[in-house]
Amino acid sequence: MTPDEIAENLARLRDAGARLKRRPIGEVLDVLGTVLERWRDPDSIWRRDLEERLPAATGFTAPMVGEGLRRALGDWTSDALRELAIRELGPIDRTDPASDRQISGFDTTAVLLAGSIPMPSLLALIAPLALRSPVLAKAASRDPLTPHLVAQSIAEADAELGRCIRVVDFAAANEDCTRALLEADCICATGSDATIATLQSLTRPPRRLVVDGHRLSIAAVVPPASAERRSELAERLAIDIALWDQLGCLSPIAVFAVDPEPAHAAALAEAIAVALANAEANWPRGSIDASAAHEIAQQRAEAELRRAAGRAVAIHASDATAWTVIVEDGPAPRPAPLHRFIRVVPVPDPGRLLEAIQPLAAHLAAVAIEGFGEGTAGLARTLASLGASRVCAPGSLQSPPLDWRHAGRGVLAPLARFSDIEAIA
Amino acid sequence: MSADPRRADIDRRILEWMREPRWRYSEKRFEELALELFAFQFEHCEIYRRFCDGRNQTPSNVESWRQIPAVPTSALKEVELRCFPASETVHRFRTSGTSTDVRGTLFLDTLELYEASLLPTFRRFVFPEFLLPEDRAPIRVLAPSPSEQPDSSLSHMFGVVLDALGEQGSDFDVENGELLFDRLLTVLVESAASEMPITLCGTAFAFVHLIDHMSERGVLIGLPSASRIMETGGFKGRSREVPRAELYAELKRVLGISAERIVNQYGMTELGSQFYDSVICGPSEPRRKLGPPWARVVIVDPETGHEAASGQVGSIVVVDLANTGSVLALRTGDLGRAILDGFEVIGREPGADSRGCSIGADELLERNSP
Repeated sequence: MTPDEIAENLARLRDAGARLKRRPIGEVLDVLGTVLERWRDPDSIWRRDLEERLPAATGFTAPMVGEGLRRALGDWTSDALRELAIRELGPIDRTDPASDRQISGFDTTAVLLAGSIPMPSLLALIAPLALRSPVLAKAASRDPLTPHLVAQSIAEADAELGRCIRVVDFAAANEDCTRALLEADCICATGSDATIATLQSLTRPPRRLVVDGHRLSIAAVVPPASAERRSELAERLAIDIALWDQLGCLSPIAVFAVDPEPAHAAALAEAIAVALANAEANWPRGSIDASAAHEIAQQRAEAELRRAAGRAVAIHASDATAWTVIVEDGPAPRPAPLHRFIRVVPVPDPGRLLEAIQPLAAHLAAVAIEGFGEGTAGLARTLASLGASRVCAPGSLQSPPLDWRHAGRGVLAPLARFSDIEAIA
Repeated sequence: MSADPRRADIDRRILEWMREPRWRYSEKRFEELALELFAFQFEHCEIYRRFCDGRNQTPSNVESWRQIPAVPTSALKEVELRCFPASETVHRFRTSGTSTDVRGTLFLDTLELYEASLLPTFRRFVFPEFLLPEDRAPIRVLAPSPSEQPDSSLSHMFGVVLDALGEQGSDFDVENGELLFDRLLTVLVESAASEMPITLCGTAFAFVHLIDHMSERGVLIGLPSASRIMETGGFKGRSREVPRAELYAELKRVLGISAERIVNQYGMTELGSQFYDSVICGPSEPRRKLGPPWARVVIVDPETGHEAASGQVGSIVVVDLANTGSVLALRTGDLGRAILDGFEVIGREPGADSRGCSIGADELLERNSP
């Protein structure tokens, strides 16, 4: 791929977009709804193709991919897409050219994908199209498969819409190609904070830049007293941790166990360890590189040494690096090696919980909470005010609704141009 | 020398090895001393004993130096590891870091092994042509002196090197945290004019500052061909980040010293011994890190904890007999790969892409801090 080829793609997309804009937005939403339904259907060729090929492309295991997609796409229906559009854009007829409040997409939207989890890619590609903005997507190096399949599935559903999406592959370090891509009118990008900073510096105004940097999620629970309920909670937390091998921004990096008695946190950690071992049996973790394995081994060894020094630290772990549960003796921030490595942090009360979370607030994505009884609503509101864009129950972190306002923004609104036409004499 | 007679005996035999005029790489000798030292440290360092017990790797079942449990160097920020009473501490080396960082500490009850290890190793890999004990060379150090930074093991090492190997006029060129650029430049210009080779030692980030200074002023110096550089450490927060190949190319451009005359040292506060690039002592061989006979490296597969297959990337574990007062087996934070009789250090990719959009809490705090 060369910068000239990217420029040529953008030019073709502009032409295709001009034709797309003549179609009613409701009709486009219907097509995209059909596409979503096909991705929901475990027997569709697209879903089967993705489940079959994603493991080789990303290193995830096939059972994990199957379970992750099943849980994530279950509620991503055609109706959910239409409701999302109405929620963020208002009544669909407002996009009628005759309306006094018009909504449109940009002439072109560039989408720079990151990571290896397919659902964010699916949504990132559909969202601009829902606004009738043609999309030029750069595939992530860790998942070169999903955007191509999504583009093909759209083309199969509607040839004209298919001409409004193109996927290009080039190395992230190729600055010339990146600059060419950033000539699009609207740019959506996810990635590391460093990547986002680079993109911001390379983007020429006036362009809409919609970026998402690093995010993390956590869980905060009151450990149940009964062993049965503890196991049940641990099973749900293990799903949140294990799916997508903890590589997404919705994967919790720590479970805060809110209880004045640290032994209850230790008991919960044991239950999570059992649940993660079960998860490994059902949905094995994928392959990891030496660097990731090294970091896990390093963090385990550090915890061993803290325990040897007499601190109240406990370690539950698989023989190799498949899963790890560390019970810490305090909320000091520590590295998160991911790949199914979770720290259980005891905190005595909700007040101390909020103190412990405060340093993470600016990067919070979601918080799973449970067991706070009458305090649940108040805690959820406090977490929201801290910056969490989603507060949910354990076990549902990896199944965000289609209309989750990631990073506190909307899904469609940030990509839209709103125009108000006032009464003129 | 340690007050403990058993430890004193171990120290004495290791010092004998270090002071032999001709290096002998003896597996048997290393094995015996390492296992004996491990047993001593197991008995005298309670935290280490518990660590080993937790892994069920104790002197009763560890049969080879390769099996000695290694503690992560990073944990020394939180845990004190020493095999002697705190009252016998004569020196502390602290890991580098900013004022807000938690810094690790190495406690020493003697500097004898540390100094006995560093000098012959430095001579071997930086001045292999030195044949006589009195051989010396002009050395400039781009790092603070030990009087300015007494808790820096690197400054201490450079102090020992200057005293033992530096010709008259050798000196430190960093004071109060500032590179004394004008003074250093005068020395470099004189070296070039007199065709007297010079040796520059220092941290990688100090060399970046030197390059930047020289580039800003448009100064290029062609140092004599036998000149050399010994650089060590990373850049984090101290200067712009420069890949090593680029650093060496820049050093060639501004000083005329080619990569074949630049030795990277792999060392750390927690280690009594250091490893050096082989380029000067073995110019026709592949560049790799080599160390003295009393310090060994094993590359460990982080998945299994066992020694990695030949050529496989793994965690670098150092077993260093110079660490008699602390713990001899240390798991460094670095990845490496065995090459012939040595190893190479492989930088870790921060890998934001490979880690999805999540991030470690510690990294966030680092970024959020002023």
